[in-house]
Amino acid sequence: MTPDEIAVSTEGLAKTYTGAFGRDPVHALRPLDLEVGRGEIFGLLGPNGAGKTTLVKLLLGLVHPTEGDAAIFGRPIHDPEARRPVGYLPEEHRFPRFLTARHALRLYARMAGVPASEREERADALLATVRLEGAADRKIREFSKGMSERLGIAQALLSRPRLLVLDEPADGVDPVGRREIRDLLLELRQGGATLFVNSHLLSEIERVCTRVAILKEGRLVRQGTVEELTTERRVWRLRCTPVPEPVARALGPSLRSEDDDAGLSAYRLRAADRAELNARLDRLREAGVEIEAVEPLRQSLEDFFVEIVST
Amino acid sequence: MIGVLLLTLRELLARKVVLGLFLVATLVWGMLALALQLDVVEGTLQGIRLFGQAPEIRTEHGEGIEGLGDDPLRMIVVTAQAFVAVAAYWVGILLALFATGGLVASLMERGRADLLLSKPLGRARILGGRLLGVGVVTALLSVYLLGMVWLVMSLKSGVWNPGFLLGIGVVFAMFAVVYAIVALVSVWTESSALALVVTLGVLFATIVLAIPGLADRVGAPWDGVVETLHVVLPRFPEVGAYTLPDLARGKSVDDWVPLASSLAFGAVAYAATFWLFRRKDF
Repeated sequence: MTPDEIAVSTEGLAKTYTGAFGRDPVHALRPLDLEVGRGEIFGLLGPNGAGKTTLVKLLLGLVHPTEGDAAIFGRPIHDPEARRPVGYLPEEHRFPRFLTARHALRLYARMAGVPASEREERADALLATVRLEGAADRKIREFSKGMSERLGIAQALLSRPRLLVLDEPADGVDPVGRREIRDLLLELRQGGATLFVNSHLLSEIERVCTRVAILKEGRLVRQGTVEELTTERRVWRLRCTPVPEPVARALGPSLRSEDDDAGLSAYRLRAADRAELNARLDRLREAGVEIEAVEPLRQSLEDFFVEIVST
Repeated sequence: MIGVLLLTLRELLARKVVLGLFLVATLVWGMLALALQLDVVEGTLQGIRLFGQAPEIRTEHGEGIEGLGDDPLRMIVVTAQAFVAVAAYWVGILLALFATGGLVASLMERGRADLLLSKPLGRARILGGRLLGVGVVTALLSVYLLGMVWLVMSLKSGVWNPGFLLGIGVVFAMFAVVYAIVALVSVWTESSALALVVTLGVLFATIVLAIPGLADRVGAPWDGVVETLHVVLPRFPEVGAYTLPDLARGKSVDDWVPLASSLAFGAVAYAATFWLFRRKDF
């Protein structure tokens, strides 16, 4: 990626919490090199304690790096101005409970640098976007968790961010709300925003993210597009007429039956490379097997994630 | 910074205790105004005006006390004003501490800090906005209480003592000094309760340290510790016992050191608070 194409970059970014009273230091994030392109929906995955929230907090200046550096749209993260094009929805956000939703958004709009002439209009528009216009003048202390989450999203969008950082955005939200959040993210991406999503809801990540990174024990263990990560290497899904028993036996463990449907059977066919795959397909055809479809086998992101973090 | 300031002002308004303090201040000057309307007080004031019947307060050399002159009415009024200033100093500062003590720690609560610190604002501006909000409210409270007391007494007695107004500055400045301890401990520990306990502990220590001849009484090796602490910590009792009454009576202040050293302590404590806040991980 050229510098102009990068929204977020880190170079050896690390965070170690020194242990007090003789306790061992905690390496929350090991030196990390990462690039997130403009317009991407980048998903950050990892088990609890993997360093996801630490990375998010480092990028937003909430935590100071022990080593390395990072930049947002080319501006170093230690400069508060780096956060001007950023909207952030923290995992746990606590608005002042004595404010109404409308007043809260206007105050945070001021802090986010939204021009005075636009604050009221922007706050009202966002309240409508997150379907809180009917509760605009209610005190936040009366809000349900879902309403509070939606207000959090509105707050994150106040400055029309070019980079939106969402830490567990669908946490505690019902399926309808989750779908609305997903639609909103896709809409934002269409508008050219870059999204950095930290979530343990893998199905959501799989649906919306263009690229994913997996952290484990503070280290980056995998990154790539969802397709790259979930395509199982050297395994194909085969739909064909039933394979005669002698041929199946001859192919051994490289051919595994999955299910039968409408006279067709499904198999998992393993081959070291394309040549071997074609040789095996030829052998099946020679045995009179009619092939309906051959496609690379994909596992779900959840399967892949579990496989990675449990090794 | 203005956003954080406005947020702090709204938070203080939402805390009923601040409104309560304004109510207490209103009661104080209201009661004073009513008392001055009582026949007995009215009559006494008229008597003093006409015949100078107040007990004469003179030095051993037969001179009027500096700043009070020989006018007995003026003597009574400025003495009463000095009493109010000192009461506001001790009671008012303590009440204001309880009303505002939790504000710095609440700034750093998880979820609230994240929302604020992720905005394009430097940390110094965020903490500065918070402290400024506290300062604005306590300054308004001081001006309202002491200003109204001064106005009521001056209008009723015809004695205008501008020195009393300087006392407002001293009360506010010493509140700011004491609040520096609250801010420092809050940023360090993120606990408002601990911040208040430590602050009250320091205030108690300053009272003990102000006992005349304490260093001599404790003897070696503790005399050095007592003297050092007396120099380093704010000299809250001395300011309340000497500097403030002198100023409120319009008398020249003999010793500015207690106020100056307290202000220096406050400046150092605020510098340490900002330094810690900038380095803190949230």
